[in-house]
Amino acid sequence: MNLKSLLLAGGALLSGTAASAGGYQVTLAGQKNNGMGGVGVGLSLDQAAMFYNPGALAMVRDRGIQVGVNATLARQAFRSQYGGPQRELQNHVVTPFNLYAGFGSEDNKFAAGIAVYTPFGNKVQYADGWEGRYSLTEIDLKSIYVQPTVSYALTDKLSVGAGLVILAYGAVNLQRDIPVEGAAGAGAAHVELDGKATTKIGYNAGIYFKPTDKLSLGASYRSKIDAQVEGGDVTFSNVPASLGSRFTATEFDATLPLPATTSIGVGFMPNEKLTIGFDANYVEWSKYKILRFDFRGNNGAGGLVSTSGQVGGSNVSTSRREYKNAWTLRAGAQYQLTSGLTVRGGGSYDFSPVKDGFVTPETPDADRLGLTVGASYKFGSFGIDVSGQFIDLKKRTQTEADLVANNTADRVAGTYKTRVLIPGIGLNYTF
Amino acid sequence: MYTFFKRTAPALALLGLGLAGCQPELDAPKADRGSADFSRYIAVGNSLTAGVSDGGLYLEGQLNSYPNLLAQQFKAVGGGDFAQPLFQSGQENGSGYIRLAGFTSTGAPITASVTTNLAVRGRVETRTNPASNPQLIYTKYTEPINNLGVPGIRMSDIETRGFGNVASTGGTLLAPTPIFNSYFERITPAGSDQTYLERVAASNPTFFTSWLGNNDVLGFATAGAAASFLTPVADFTDKNNKLINALTANGAKGLVATIPDVTSIPFFTTVGPTFKATLLAANVPGIVVTTGAFSSTPGTPATRKSIATADIKGADGNGRQLFTLTSSPYVALFGRPNNGKAWRDVYNQARASLPPVVSLGVFLAIQGVDTTKAFGASVENPFPSTLVLDDVEQVAVRTATTAFNNALTAKANEKGLAIFDANASLSRIVTTGIVSDAVNNTAAFISGNLFSLDGVHFTPRGYAIIANEMINAINTKYGASLQTVNPNNYRGVRFP
Repeated sequence: MNLKSLLLAGGALLSGTAASAGGYQVTLAGQKNNGMGGVGVGLSLDQAAMFYNPGALAMVRDRGIQVGVNATLARQAFRSQYGGPQRELQNHVVTPFNLYAGFGSEDNKFAAGIAVYTPFGNKVQYADGWEGRYSLTEIDLKSIYVQPTVSYALTDKLSVGAGLVILAYGAVNLQRDIPVEGAAGAGAAHVELDGKATTKIGYNAGIYFKPTDKLSLGASYRSKIDAQVEGGDVTFSNVPASLGSRFTATEFDATLPLPATTSIGVGFMPNEKLTIGFDANYVEWSKYKILRFDFRGNNGAGGLVSTSGQVGGSNVSTSRREYKNAWTLRAGAQYQLTSGLTVRGGGSYDFSPVKDGFVTPETPDADRLGLTVGASYKFGSFGIDVSGQFIDLKKRTQTEADLVANNTADRVAGTYKTRVLIPGIGLNYTF
Repeated sequence: MYTFFKRTAPALALLGLGLAGCQPELDAPKADRGSADFSRYIAVGNSLTAGVSDGGLYLEGQLNSYPNLLAQQFKAVGGGDFAQPLFQSGQENGSGYIRLAGFTSTGAPITASVTTNLAVRGRVETRTNPASNPQLIYTKYTEPINNLGVPGIRMSDIETRGFGNVASTGGTLLAPTPIFNSYFERITPAGSDQTYLERVAASNPTFFTSWLGNNDVLGFATAGAAASFLTPVADFTDKNNKLINALTANGAKGLVATIPDVTSIPFFTTVGPTFKATLLAANVPGIVVTTGAFSSTPGTPATRKSIATADIKGADGNGRQLFTLTSSPYVALFGRPNNGKAWRDVYNQARASLPPVVSLGVFLAIQGVDTTKAFGASVENPFPSTLVLDDVEQVAVRTATTAFNNALTAKANEKGLAIFDANASLSRIVTTGIVSDAVNNTAAFISGNLFSLDGVHFTPRGYAIIANEMINAINTKYGASLQTVNPNNYRGVRFP
């Protein structure tokens, strides 16, 4: 692998994808959990407890570091209400990653650690000239959370924990074509919004209770963070010169809520080798009511006397989202086959936060069924975890009449169907 | 590297297989012709059917004509080839047209004429177009065609003999005879006196669309009711019946379109609101216009009408009086004394139909106009009737439209044909706009995407919307499932 491809891979590393959990949430935080339908709140599997339930961290027997990376391969079909060919996404691979390092006190009462993960992200790039181009041609939304975490075992059955959740890096790039016609043969008029989020801080907390060797219970909460872009760049291309005065903006501000999540989980350990987990996540998506961009600046395209901050003759753009709070249900199990090999399986059902008639090309969401498999092999202090997920989004159709009725006609009418394949690999070292 | 590849290749192949299976497939919607037979489609109509846009007929407009779009969709369910009298390469600008050249500092559009690569083959003097302004004729196209759209044709013209013969030059002012139509002449063999009805009757369709009658009100309306005429309802009804009987003689199915209320098109809704705002800002209480036809009787000047500024139809929809798009250069002259431009231009247009003895001075005297007085602000120098469609004239236009639509609908129902209610459709678009994949299309001039720069004819986007509305009507009537076209694949107004 040469330097150039390394850089390219690094560029892709930061993104999640539209299609790995409801809305633009990405739940690929632990490679073991990934193989088990994403359960983890009621379990104490490994250092990824910092994400799933910081309360369980103190009960994680091993201390160590672990790193995981996933490749999300989304495949989508879209058919416009107006007919025409099936549209497919420009294929790309995005690689959400996770990194954990955990340390504990000698008496196993106290644990601390640091986690780096990508809980929200979204990358979708549509084919050139697709029907929804005036709504979106591509989006790349990235976030990296860094989370210092502490956990304390109050008794040998009950532990609590909390983390400081830092939105260390956030970036959005959103592009679409502008519905104005230039000279024959001129390329489509286009606008690109590109900005970085300011650093924001939230928290997570959890509690973990293991009354017997055969049962464990957990609950956790991660707070909302508003990702805020101030002074992002607005770039126009191919806008006809005679319309310059309507496209003068150079900067934008926008806020995107990264919603709070409450989770409960339960684990059963019928014997030494078998672990079964069930989780339920409740995400407060209803905070996402509207996507609003405020524009300012003057690029002089319409002569400097032109009104500043115009995009299509307006200095704000608002789009209804009206998400609803949504549940995800998960189930998974692992079985230790030999002293070194553990196998996993699981499934999840994710209720979409996006209401009918509100589906946007940036998050072509629908209820999704996930099936997962995984395995770990351990040799000494080293372990390798692999996981694979197959996610099937329900076919979803909205007509132009639905959109007009919902006042959501800024998006595209037609049918979406998406499937995602997510292989992942993790390495861990315990001490 | 090689061994690495050898080892990972099977895994990669497996992954590739998994991905290939991962790609979802959505079935193409089924297309079915229902009880209609689209194997030979004939389009009957006027400029809207021919594909006129931006004040002219040119190749791009022809290619995006609604009949051509319909024919494309018909092909998926057994429709045959659809031939149009296309302008050839090198003459692709046809009759010429107007393009948008930019905007003034106040945002008013500036247009320019496209006068290169025309298909003009000659000039013919007629009764209404004398030597000073002869009627243009275009490169002939006499191959078999399916699109019989003839710009300018009225329902009242369909039985006119010689309508496509250059020899029909209109006789004299005192003994007028019909004048040929340049576009019908273009598609009619030289020397033939065949009428439009005969041409239609010989076309032998299995399916047709008929959208005729707009010009029976439009010419009168766009002239501010000062020229042209409304076709008598009895004549309209009789000719429409003959037309539909001819089309359905061999059992063809088809669609009939009604005539939209022309008072809601940008030609009538663009200038008035701006002019009203200007007058309000200047505290001008009202203006003076002439109404109806100009006078031809000395001693009986053209009828004056005072219009309160508040009564001009504004952007908010309040007020009644409409200004034509062509009034734009003249309203800018409001209040100027010693300004006779408007009346001079009216005289030059009317000259061919006036006796030679009527000079400009005589004409103005007959109308009772004194151009030294403040233009538009005084009874002595009013706005000419041609620039304004006033409330009384609008009633005449609407009454005729309703009567014609009743005749069109009754006949279509009698023959069990599909009906595209263009009138209802346009009024819906005027009220709410029509959305296509995140683009809001409205009846606004230039910014609305649907109407071209002449304010009357559609852009390719507008024609695509028309085609879709017709497809919906056809699907409903004949149990077909034709696919619509994607309006966004067709352009609105081009900006420089």
